[in-house]
Amino acid sequence: MNIVLFESLSAWWPELILSAGALFVILCGVWTKRTQPALFVTWATLVAAAVALWQVPVPTATSPFFGLIICDPFSYTFRWLALGTVMIVTLLVTGSRDIEPDAVGECLGLLLLIGVGLMVMAESVHLLMAYVAMELVSLSSYVLVGFLRDQRSAEASLKYLMFGALSSGMMLFGMSLLFGLTGALAFPDLLRATSALGQPAAGPLLVALTLLLVGLGFKISMVPFHQWTPDAYEGAPIPVTALLSVGPKATGLALLLRLINALRPAWPQLMWLFLGLTIATMTLGNLVALVQTNVKRLLAYSTIGQMGYLLIGLTVNSRMGLEALLLYLVAYLFMNLGMFACVIAVVNDTGSEALEAFRGLAARAPGLALMCAMFLLSLAGMPPLLGFFGKFLLFGSAIEAHQLWLALAGIINSAIALYYYVNIIRLMYSAAPQPSRLLHVGASLRLVLGICTAVTLLLGLFPARLLSALRTATTITLL
Amino acid sequence: MMLTFLLACPLVGMLIILALPKSAVQTIRNTALLSTGGALFLSLMLLSHFQPQLTGVQFQEHVLWIPQLHIYYHLGLDGINLPMVLLTTLLGFLACFASWSIKERHKEYYALYLLLQVGMLGTFLALDLFLFYVFWEVVLVPMYFLIGIWGGGRREYSAFKFFVYTLAGSLFMLLGILALYLHPNGQTFDMLELAQKGPAFPLAFQRWLFLAFFLGFAIKVPIFPFHTWLPDAHVDAPTPGSVLLAGVLLKMGGYGFFRIAYPIFPAAAQWFGGTMAVLGMINIVYGAFVAMAQTDFKRLVAYSSVSHMGFVLLGLSSLTPEGMNGAMLQMFSHGIITGAMFLLVGVLYDRTHTRDLNAFGGLGVQMPVYGGLLIFFSLASLGLPGLSGFVAEFLSLVGTFGVWRWQTVVSVLGIVVAAAYMLKVIRQILLGPLNEKWRALPDATLREVCSLVPLLLLTVAVGVYPLLVLQLQDGALRQLVAHVLGHPLP
Repeated sequence: MNIVLFESLSAWWPELILSAGALFVILCGVWTKRTQPALFVTWATLVAAAVALWQVPVPTATSPFFGLIICDPFSYTFRWLALGTVMIVTLLVTGSRDIEPDAVGECLGLLLLIGVGLMVMAESVHLLMAYVAMELVSLSSYVLVGFLRDQRSAEASLKYLMFGALSSGMMLFGMSLLFGLTGALAFPDLLRATSALGQPAAGPLLVALTLLLVGLGFKISMVPFHQWTPDAYEGAPIPVTALLSVGPKATGLALLLRLINALRPAWPQLMWLFLGLTIATMTLGNLVALVQTNVKRLLAYSTIGQMGYLLIGLTVNSRMGLEALLLYLVAYLFMNLGMFACVIAVVNDTGSEALEAFRGLAARAPGLALMCAMFLLSLAGMPPLLGFFGKFLLFGSAIEAHQLWLALAGIINSAIALYYYVNIIRLMYSAAPQPSRLLHVGASLRLVLGICTAVTLLLGLFPARLLSALRTATTITLL
Repeated sequence: MMLTFLLACPLVGMLIILALPKSAVQTIRNTALLSTGGALFLSLMLLSHFQPQLTGVQFQEHVLWIPQLHIYYHLGLDGINLPMVLLTTLLGFLACFASWSIKERHKEYYALYLLLQVGMLGTFLALDLFLFYVFWEVVLVPMYFLIGIWGGGRREYSAFKFFVYTLAGSLFMLLGILALYLHPNGQTFDMLELAQKGPAFPLAFQRWLFLAFFLGFAIKVPIFPFHTWLPDAHVDAPTPGSVLLAGVLLKMGGYGFFRIAYPIFPAAAQWFGGTMAVLGMINIVYGAFVAMAQTDFKRLVAYSSVSHMGFVLLGLSSLTPEGMNGAMLQMFSHGIITGAMFLLVGVLYDRTHTRDLNAFGGLGVQMPVYGGLLIFFSLASLGLPGLSGFVAEFLSLVGTFGVWRWQTVVSVLGIVVAAAYMLKVIRQILLGPLNEKWRALPDATLREVCSLVPLLLLTVAVGVYPLLVLQLQDGALRQLVAHVLGHPLP
């Protein structure tokens, strides 16, 4: 038992460091009410966690924590993605004017806790562990969404909370049904049990899985569980919106993939459900984004559309689909966070979240406008950027699985999405009505923009290394 | 390495321009001119070292790019893309010269212009479908900005329409590329390998994929009814933008048929022949009649482009060496002639700020040099024998006459209407009483004449001695026809 605990802890150092750091940062924020100490502790924690993650054994010799989590290459990738997201969002928090200085400490502390939750979500191989991790992320997110001291933010937070509570409840109900049917909560046991289940249990099994899907669908903003997304994104401080658009989506997909793997015998019925939901998610996200005038709301619907593309990689249930999903997730992370950095820069300067605030940006900040255009084109899927390569692989996986309708839906939605992405570029490069002054972009935002630009452009031109690195992560194990 | 140097020339120029301060306008112009001039020089060197009698691709460059998907950085030159590369570098250089009339935001303009040049050259040089697609899309963004920022009229709308329309078509092409790679008989992105495997694909698969690629190319050519983006984009683009749009971008669509659709899907190409001939005929006649109705000079030239590209389609549909040679030569010849026509429109517009044909009159006396050039290129455009347009159109018609008779017969009507609208243009602009407003118009400047004279000389040269171009492409085209028909030519 000691050996197991010892090995579990040696594999779990990053999460431990982040948890301890989170609590310490909250204390710093509450005691000192200044941003400097909290920021220092946050970065110390993040760097220590990164070093620990680098040293962690993958995969572990024994199952950590008695089979609650697993540290395999698949979860390793997502742990890095989660850590990277938290690091970049910390930079965004520093660069944004949204969050007031006396609340930054608590914000960063909650951010680190979300980081822990994200990592554990990707590692979970037990239903209850998955629930705990999801709740950790959700509860911290509810608070962070309401961090602005205005009515819109409070309303957004409340909506998010109610919706999230309902979804979590339904998911728990689904888990209990599953437990009742199979007597198992750990994923390996679930796999064994569902293979042994007979035909009479197929109906209840589908009900249980659908309820589970409600909770997970809520997390990844899959239609029809996406209703909270626009309001929550609009009301939250922009760095929080950035975090929500990337972090929970990525690890939510990881968890969904593991769950589907554990419930493989039920896949034939589930596949049709997923097919319909994927196409609906893509289409609804892109169509409604066409009419948005608030940039945060537009990016919320754009996120829903992008989730649709990612779900293609999941629905095809093949190795190529999984590779495509992982690569597009990496691409999506950096291009979305880059885009949000641009939004923060514009909102800092103009104070307005309307799309019109982007008008004439090219004259006021040419470098910023160029990078923003690049992120938008990557989101739209233009070569030679990484977003294009990700979409290339996703549509390829759809064709390989003979799911022609998925591929067609994908390209039609890409064409529709082009409208609202290029609209922003058009606004940026058109003439501003009033005489313009230069826009100054802060240091932390510049760092984020630099990192995201480098990844989107350079990895887009030379994706081979990334692809081979992700190939090792495509084996999802349950034990 | 020559081909990579050819691509690197405009790219390096672009990077240098991005580093220059935006006040150094003349330095920026000179850098751009030097880059495009360097590219032209390199392409002429490639021409001198090219050996038309050799089968297969020359100057090949084959570097592994993305091993997991067997994607290579594969460039090469043969009879099918060499005329296009020469056209691109020549028009790129001359339009860069004509770009000196741009008045604002020079740094962004020339950087985007050189990026466009890289994209166009890359499209013609690429021999790997993934690389081809990347360059094909790279062309769209600079063109969007060139039209949207430095254009006139409804430039934002036209640029947007151009962008989304073309991208939608090429997304279908993307699915085709993926389907080819994932098919058990495919498993590669290399165009040459796929061409060899082409006849082995099942017929239904060939037909569907031919249509997928057709959609992408049809929007570019443009083929009726996918041509509606063209008048807006051409009219609202700045003069150099229109020159490249009409002179090179349209040819990318035609080139796609020669390089990809026909070699890889030979049975489907034969199956589609009749439809292609009809579409070509519609382009020729419809384009000509609509051009006849125009009162805007630039719009008239835009529709005449639609009409002339119809001859490319007609030649393609014939699957005979004469027809294919005519189609390919028409791409080259039309590029030169229409490029010149748009330059001429630009010269007039820069002085008068109107393109309304009814507003002009009697300018032949006021601007004799310009008048002479306009008459020359109008006659070239309508296909006067002795100039390159005639040879190309004649070859296309001769090649198709034996295969698709009535389509050819109806298409000849287009030539008659072309004569009508071109002579109408000459009459309305150059002849008749001089409109008092234009009493003080200066004639064409040395810079403008210098950008037109090379095109004039080339038009005459190819018209009088077409073998200049035909000898480069004939071997490759004969091979293509034999490959598509499945048997060696008699």
